[in-house]
Amino acid sequence: MKGSDNQEKLVYQIIEDAGNKGIWSRDIRYKSNLPLTEINKILKNLESKKLIKAVKSVAASKKKVYMLYNLQPDRSVTGGAWYSDQDFESEFVEVLNQQCFKFLQSKAETARESKQNPMIQRNSSFASSHEVWKYICELGISKVELSMEDIETILNTLIYDGKVEMTIIAAKEGTVGSVDGHMKLYRAVNPIIPPTGLVRAPCGLCPVFDDCHEGGEISPSNCIYMTEWLEF
Amino acid sequence: MTQAEIKLCSLLLQEHFGEIVEKIGVRLIRTGSQPLRVIAHDTGTSLDQVKKALCVLAQHNLVSYQVHKRGVVEYEAQCSRVLRMLRYPRYIYTTKTLYSDTGELIVEELLLNGKLTMSAVVKKVADRLTETMEDGKTMDYAEVSNTFVRLADTHFVQRCPSVPTTENSDPGPPPPAPTLVINEKDMYLVPKLSLIGKGKRRRSSDEDAAGEPKAKRPKYTTDNKEPIPDDGIYWQANLDRFHQHFRDQAIVSAVANRMDQTSSEIVRTMLRMSEITTSSSAPFTQPLSSNEIFRSLPVGYNISKQVLDQYLTLLADDPLEFVGKSGDSGGGMYVINLHKALASLATATLESVVQERFGSRCARIFRLVLEKKHIEQKQVEDFAMIPAKEAKDMLYKMLSENFMSLQEIPKTPDHAPSRTFYLYTVNILSAARMLLHRCYKSIANLIERRQFETKENKRLLEKSQRVEAIIASMQATGAEEAQLQEIEEMITAPERQQLETLKRNVNKLDASEIQVDETIFLLESYIECTMKRQ
Repeated sequence: MKGSDNQEKLVYQIIEDAGNKGIWSRDIRYKSNLPLTEINKILKNLESKKLIKAVKSVAASKKKVYMLYNLQPDRSVTGGAWYSDQDFESEFVEVLNQQCFKFLQSKAETARESKQNPMIQRNSSFASSHEVWKYICELGISKVELSMEDIETILNTLIYDGKVEMTIIAAKEGTVGSVDGHMKLYRAVNPIIPPTGLVRAPCGLCPVFDDCHEGGEISPSNCIYMTEWLEF
Repeated sequence: MTQAEIKLCSLLLQEHFGEIVEKIGVRLIRTGSQPLRVIAHDTGTSLDQVKKALCVLAQHNLVSYQVHKRGVVEYEAQCSRVLRMLRYPRYIYTTKTLYSDTGELIVEELLLNGKLTMSAVVKKVADRLTETMEDGKTMDYAEVSNTFVRLADTHFVQRCPSVPTTENSDPGPPPPAPTLVINEKDMYLVPKLSLIGKGKRRRSSDEDAAGEPKAKRPKYTTDNKEPIPDDGIYWQANLDRFHQHFRDQAIVSAVANRMDQTSSEIVRTMLRMSEITTSSSAPFTQPLSSNEIFRSLPVGYNISKQVLDQYLTLLADDPLEFVGKSGDSGGGMYVINLHKALASLATATLESVVQERFGSRCARIFRLVLEKKHIEQKQVEDFAMIPAKEAKDMLYKMLSENFMSLQEIPKTPDHAPSRTFYLYTVNILSAARMLLHRCYKSIANLIERRQFETKENKRLLEKSQRVEAIIASMQATGAEEAQLQEIEEMITAPERQQLETLKRNVNKLDASEIQVDETIFLLESYIECTMKRQ
């Protein structure tokens, strides 16, 4: 680091201390008490010397955090497995979502067809998060290494889709896939009611429902949605 | 009563009873209870007509009256009862599945006439059934009576409150309006009638009938001369019992969808056993022991006791929480958690509406907020794995349609927006109410469209009716084939097509009304159950 003065050394030290989470330029200013123009000059200098780099944070896309050149940015900055270059990978998440669901569905199917007594049938239709994780890893659809927590977040989205239910059972510490003495089990389920009556009528889905009244411009008598629906 | 409900009531009353009854009925619904003269004055109809309209409404249990002090009688309309008229087809169909054609006709007659004596019902139903049977066969009164008794035993029909017979007659003047009472024990008590007879067939070309002049023949029976044995004992359809049945059906089918057929049969058995013992608004059924359930299973099902126990344990452990275990005596005591079941069904209805209207991603966010109860916007994006911009858009759309609400938690006393937490939450009760209101308006729209379609084609309908009448009369007087052909051709092919389309459309709109009514039933039951608990 020859040729750099004390100020640069100070700034470099601050950035090094921040580790792989990086540090925002305003925080560097607070810590070093140097004026803004000076900081900017030093940062540009260090960057050109390839000692530090700027990484865009996924939380606030305008914010840039600085860290040492050879460090891997932390997950909280890059967003982890679901973000690649600050973009949320929706298709990737969707694909994983569908694959997990298919796996759980086929497991439930085989359990149902085995026609054994109901206890065994139900227990065999469950899959632990560890099993699903292994299946996804073996499928090899992911370029990035996925951990069990990642798979659990995907399975949670399936729960919010209403397609899967989860139970937690107590498991011995040593068993595969158990975390802190319990395991999460997942099972594919069907919805409890078919699509309800209201949505089968055009009024249930109508975007201008509140403006519709007899004698107005939009009324049941001249409703174009109803006309279309009646022609089916 | 909301505007939508009043509009729907007005449409229903008009369709079933006509203009005058509709005017009186809507007036009463709008203004609460009023005496006779005020109604006549405000609606501008003559006293005579108002009396007749109130008679019709009271006969159908749509209006009740009360004697206030100073001898003033006030009439009050039941808006919710008027809305039940939408559900008549469902009641009749349910009776058909349970008690076949005889039961179906009994309930249909009771619903159409409001109140009837048992002998009148039996006679009418026997006549109607006889007409549909083959020549030479008639329907025996005894069979119809048996079905009637069965309906009364399972509480599907009940006695109407009647004037009490006072032991010591009060020498004073009679009250302006009688107070009707009904003893709890007597409500399903069938009077001992020996109704002997057979249904009479209405023959239009019968030689016997043609001989008698029409004026002398009152109806088609000859026992009008004798006094009716059960005069004064009127029967009506017990709508609460039907509602209980629909609720049970919904729970059983939910269990069948989530688990399998056998579990749903077990739940159906449990519900059937608690039909009479549990009141319809109780949150839990009476505890049933597993031994009792085993004994009451339908005959065709031979599953062993252990398998039944396993199924019951599975049902009790299921996250749905429809069945709960309340004790261990008698092999395990199990209850059905009715309130939780209704809440789950109402929630599923809400989720289904959100999914169809806004898409499955929105449904994911909706279920997420439901589960977490209160959640911040940032957390919604993380948990649902939906890009931030889309998640924000969907949350705001659901918020504007009142499916969700915001809870503010300020960090500072001045409630500055930048220093306040905003949490999204779903209040199921208010969302259910909002959806119910939308259902009422939807049905009103469907009815209006149906009336519009019929009115549009009125000319064509009248023409086809005239042609049919001509054909019928010509057939009666024995016309030739060629003449009939000529008359039929008066309706051209495109007109026939139009009639077909009209018929199809009207049927579709009708079916849609019944479907929306199913949603109304689930939401109303949930709201009623929740309000009773509070």
